[in-house]
Amino acid sequence: MDIRLEDVSCRRGGRDVLGIPSLSIASGRVTAVLGPNGAGKTTLLRLIAGLDRPYSGKVLVGGETADARRRCVSYLFQEQVFLRQSLLDNLELGLQLHGASDAEARERAIAGLQLLGIESLADRRADQISGGEGRRASLARALSLASPVLLLDEPMAGLDGRTYTRLLDELPPLLGAFAATTVVVTHDREEAFRLCDDVVILVGGRVRAVGTKQEVATNPRHREVAEVLGYTVLTAGGCLVATPETGFTLAPAPTALSAVVERVTDVVDHWEVVATIGETRVHVRAPRSDTPPTPGDHVWLRTSVMYELS
Amino acid sequence: MDAGTLVITVRTLAISGAATLLSIIVGVPIGYALARRQFAGRTVLLGFINTGMGMPPVVVGLIVWLLLVRSGPFGDFELIYTPTAMVVAQFLLATPIVIGFTTASFQSLSPRLIDLLRVLGAGRVRMLWLLAREARLGLLAAVMAAFGAIVSEVGASMIVGGNLERSTRVLTTAIVTETSRGEVERALALGFVLLALSLVVNVALTIAQQRNRP
Amino acid sequence: MVRYDLPIMRLAVSRLRRALLFGILAVFAAYPAAQSRPSIILATTTSTQDSGLLDALVPRFEKERGIGVKVIAVGTGAALRMAGSGDADVVLVHAPTSEQPYIQSGDLIDGRLVMHNDFVIVGPPSDPAGVRGQKTVTGAMQAIAARGVFISRGDQSGTHTQELALWAAAKIDPRTVKRREETGQGMGATLNVADQKRAYTLTDRGTYLSQRNRLMLAIVFQGDPGLRNIYHVYAVNPARHPKAKLAEAKQFIDFLVSPAIQDAIGSFKREQFGESLFFPDALPARR
Repeated sequence: MDIRLEDVSCRRGGRDVLGIPSLSIASGRVTAVLGPNGAGKTTLLRLIAGLDRPYSGKVLVGGETADARRRCVSYLFQEQVFLRQSLLDNLELGLQLHGASDAEARERAIAGLQLLGIESLADRRADQISGGEGRRASLARALSLASPVLLLDEPMAGLDGRTYTRLLDELPPLLGAFAATTVVVTHDREEAFRLCDDVVILVGGRVRAVGTKQEVATNPRHREVAEVLGYTVLTAGGCLVATPETGFTLAPAPTALSAVVERVTDVVDHWEVVATIGETRVHVRAPRSDTPPTPGDHVWLRTSVMYELS
Repeated sequence: MDAGTLVITVRTLAISGAATLLSIIVGVPIGYALARRQFAGRTVLLGFINTGMGMPPVVVGLIVWLLLVRSGPFGDFELIYTPTAMVVAQFLLATPIVIGFTTASFQSLSPRLIDLLRVLGAGRVRMLWLLAREARLGLLAAVMAAFGAIVSEVGASMIVGGNLERSTRVLTTAIVTETSRGEVERALALGFVLLALSLVVNVALTIAQQRNRP
Repeated sequence: MVRYDLPIMRLAVSRLRRALLFGILAVFAAYPAAQSRPSIILATTTSTQDSGLLDALVPRFEKERGIGVKVIAVGTGAALRMAGSGDADVVLVHAPTSEQPYIQSGDLIDGRLVMHNDFVIVGPPSDPAGVRGQKTVTGAMQAIAARGVFISRGDQSGTHTQELALWAAAKIDPRTVKRREETGQGMGATLNVADQKRAYTLTDRGTYLSQRNRLMLAIVFQGDPGLRNIYHVYAVNPARHPKAKLAEAKQFIDFLVSPAIQDAIGSFKREQFGESLFFPDALPARR
């Protein structure tokens, strides 16, 4: 089930908090919405869930207007939200509301808890569990519904180091197995890149980049995007910073910066080049196919690409 | 307890119980709507409700009396000096209390909980039921406050019920009568029955309220 | 900014201050004065209160004799009980049979006949029980028991006692009358209930006349000697209840039976209703 936003705007207190002329989220893939705090990430997620209506424009899920009553969306909230009853009852309630029979609901609820390894907590009251357990339980509820669309709002927020690492290892295969159209909202770059196939960069309520994670990471295009991706931005005549993958040319180009090659290392499948732009030293990976530069060469670095600074 | 006292006690329970029940049926959805919806005049309305929570029973009784007497607008129903009239008056007294408490207890629930239930696809009625269960601490407090207020109220019951021995005499009006008759011991005994009744009802509701509480 | 330097302003301010000071002093001075004035507790029946008679007489007494009166209007039964336990200084009641035991026990002394009014049976103008055709009060009560709804005071007041006496005279046990209800309230409230329920009730003429304008009830039976309502006033005996204020109580009794007040009782609201509510009885020569 794909998600499409057309000319969507959202206002709060008379202020535009979201403005998205057009955005498509592909069916069956995991898309991370990455951006700083207050970028409108949760707002976007709530629009997709049909919890809020856009001020203008259309939010289409599977071709139909987003509406919470359609029951095609599972939502993992940033806060932990449970009814004051056992975890099992909480999971069963969701399934029952989605139309499962009592027996089926029980079976799938238990399966959900097992999936996250917390079946021993089934009879525990929801207000008597730890943060990590609650996060797992929330995930179990969201996944057990097996909805075509899965929305995760900061699924890893507030977890301690060990729990974070373990869950981050477990989550990608789980998401892969369910093959739902998954949208993960996060402000954490590593989390985003570990979990997702595609990335949407949201800054100040505007989509600044969208594409596969490789595309976005290697070609940030905007300074803000680069910042969100955690790259350092150099302002000497343009924007630059780092990419592990591609990006340098030996030919002068109008959009390129002049650099002097300092050292070249032969790595198995590419050249590792260290060059200097003025005072600044950058690391560049050059694909094998290119002619290797030699120290002292003047090369041109594409400014549409970011380079890693040393 | 003699037969007369028993009859009055049962009647008190029936009248105030019916009024409380009606006020829950009407007041809880209104309180729920006030807690969940934003609309023009909501704050003013809440102000009125809060005033209504402290309405003097005699004033309510007087208004109901004026409405229900034969010369009044609803006189044709011949309801004045019947238990029904008392239920009406007590209902009017109890409903603002129920609405006030209900609004407050629904407002204290996490808005995320409502989001969760919406996204799980809960319909209106199911949503109200599930949230009411979550807010039952506050809602049962509403029931206790409402029942406690009307069962101990005397002014309205006296005015609209007429304190008729065989049909509308309740514990409070009986206490007034016995006191004015000079039967202080009997009045005191009825007072104890009233206290015991409040105690039993409140203890029962408190047990329901605190059940499953960590 | 108010400027006080103008002479006229200064004068005004100083006058204001003085007035305030005097006002405060006056309040303090008046408070103990109000406390020290002797006052008595009059236990009486709701019917004298409801008719407005006491409202006319009591302030006059307080003014003339300098004695305060706290009127406690309850049923005759309760009024007598208050006397019996020494909670009142003087009683004005109208149930001679109930008064007897208290006279015999010595709780009540210095009794004087004050006045009478009479009871009437009121009911719906259509008179469904056919009370109007009855020749005796006994017949009227039997007709009501058979075909009407009766609202009783049920508060052990003089009127209630009178009603019970009427049932007894008619050889009917009131508890067996199906459509008889007790209000346990005063005459005014009971008349309201009877009016709304299209029922019969026994009332003193005074209360009925004072409320007639807003009632649909009509007099359906009156004039039987058994319907007379006789008021006596008594002092509470300090020999049995040391706190009873006999001197002041006697003042009140004197007052009630004085010629001027007896006249006032006879003419009370006569103009308004076109007939007397109460008939003074303390001065037999004048009748």
